[in-house]
Amino acid sequence: MTTLVPLLVVGPLLAAALALAARSLGRLRDAITLITLFGVALGALILVLSVNRSGPVVVRLGGWHPELGIVLVADLFAALVLLSATATVLAVEVFSIGQRKTVWAASPDLVGPLLLVLTGGVSLAFLTGDLFTLFVAFELILVSSYVLLTHQGRSGQVRSGMSYVVMNLFASTLFLFGLAFVYASTGTVNMALLSERVPELSSGTQLGLGLWFFVVFGTKAAAFPLFSWLPDSYPTAPTTITAVFAGLLTKVGVYSLIRFHTLTRMDELGPIVLIVAGATMLVGVLGALAQNDVKRILSFHIISQIGYMLMGLGLFTVAGVAGAVLFLVHHIPTKTLLFLVGGMIEDEYGTSDLDKAGGLAARRPILGLLFAIPAMSLAGLPPFSGFVAKLSLIRAGIEAQSTLIVIVALVVSALTLLSMVKIWLGVFWGVDPRDEPTELSSPQARMLMTSATGAAIVGTLLVAVLAGPLWDMSLAAAESLLDPSGYATEVLR
Amino acid sequence: MIRSTSPVAELGVRAATPPALMVGMFLFFAGHNRPGGGFAAGLIIGAVVALRWMVGLRTTVVPSQLMAAGIVIVAGVALAPVLFGSVVLDQAVWSTSLPVLGKVKAGSAAIFDIGVSAIVVGLVIAVIDGLSPATTSAPEGQSS
Repeated sequence: MTTLVPLLVVGPLLAAALALAARSLGRLRDAITLITLFGVALGALILVLSVNRSGPVVVRLGGWHPELGIVLVADLFAALVLLSATATVLAVEVFSIGQRKTVWAASPDLVGPLLLVLTGGVSLAFLTGDLFTLFVAFELILVSSYVLLTHQGRSGQVRSGMSYVVMNLFASTLFLFGLAFVYASTGTVNMALLSERVPELSSGTQLGLGLWFFVVFGTKAAAFPLFSWLPDSYPTAPTTITAVFAGLLTKVGVYSLIRFHTLTRMDELGPIVLIVAGATMLVGVLGALAQNDVKRILSFHIISQIGYMLMGLGLFTVAGVAGAVLFLVHHIPTKTLLFLVGGMIEDEYGTSDLDKAGGLAARRPILGLLFAIPAMSLAGLPPFSGFVAKLSLIRAGIEAQSTLIVIVALVVSALTLLSMVKIWLGVFWGVDPRDEPTELSSPQARMLMTSATGAAIVGTLLVAVLAGPLWDMSLAAAESLLDPSGYATEVLR
Repeated sequence: MIRSTSPVAELGVRAATPPALMVGMFLFFAGHNRPGGGFAAGLIIGAVVALRWMVGLRTTVVPSQLMAAGIVIVAGVALAPVLFGSVVLDQAVWSTSLPVLGKVKAGSAAIFDIGVSAIVVGLVIAVIDGLSPATTSAPEGQSS
């Protein structure tokens, strides 16, 4: 295990180098990318099982003590989210190989290597045990995402890529300042040591640090009010890129938020987090209702879903944080899937504008099914994974007697369903506005895209089927998050 | 581009190259115990490449291959200790006495730093390549 954990970070980066060197040899490059992503997902699965059975894995890089060196910590929370994320990237890579035959494809010799760099960065963000390495992981993710977002060089992409870059650089700068504050006040950036030292600080300093990092990670997570860069930039990128971003990037922010604020016992911030959570949910879903384009509607949904995860954190109870963990695990694949289906709709009509589409259910019933399942799951209808996650959050809210946020969450759920119905009416029902449908992609490419999406949907259904054990794991993860002394002893031992 | 108009600039950059590379080398070796290191050295060398490009002295290095080599070196050094039954990123240190230099210490961390420098230099060249008028293609029409 002590070899597997660093391998999950170094492996994708090494493979990225090999894929970069072999980027003109298409097959070899694809083989390297696919095998690595498969290996990383498999490794994450092994990690989840091992951590669940025998506790967290702590790796001291170079053998240095946590006071001096870097540690990688794979606890249940990290392992679960990592599995969800890496399995999703794997599905997207298969999809992107299929999509290559269409006009929408992202440049293949860039996407393979950069997707691997992104995966390495995401693994590092989930597994790292100190704040500075988290910053490095964020930069790794951002650098690769800048290129992925704008590499086609279309005018709209470059324009909205600018706001993405500026917003994220702003957050990164604040992050660096925050690191300086943390180091100045505690003398360490190791999270285990922080969990011991931050509660000893004066309450004003604690609150300041908590709020500062809430802004930093909140911006990365696209929480209210710093969310507008997301729906502006995401829809312009090629589908596969948007899908990966939608599933992973904001979620790294949420993950860091949950990790930092539970470890340093920021319970006092609970009410503020809840207010931001409610506002994020509402603004996101209202934005979605106002849009008239599949990809833009879905982008706004990301924001509203972030609100649910923040709600779980804001309650600062075991049930609430467990709900947030489960929501995170469910959300990553589901959201990505919806974007993949959105990409296939775009491939069908040449646009993702609702007004220019229609009647797809009759022509491609399978595509309808592929859209309906994750859409209903996202809205929170039983028996899908979203229902399990939302139910646990609502119950936690009621237990904590936070009635207002529960009402907001329920209303937003209904509105989410409404906006999904809007896509359904616009794209799948009605008549095709075109006189004669043109085939934009070959059946073979469609087949590959459909099967990648289908396989991933089976994965999200598994989340619902395995809801029992997953909930137990989320509870265990939440318990250890809210009682960080166990984490600290494990790391510092 | 100032190449065609100013031989002075070209000559100046040519003359500045060796000392600038010396500074880079110094930072590279200083980095083991003092401020500096592979990253800073890579930036200096990258700056040299950028300066030379300004006066028309192009490199023929393929940036992606240089970056790939850098990552392979870094990952290789990071993972090598596992083969000897140690933890990832552990390092080996050799020390010996040489006639003129006295006691010399060398660690496998230096190889790691070479990889870091290669990545940085590769990135700088890639950026210059991307910005150079010869390779920049006109943006595609009005698509968004």
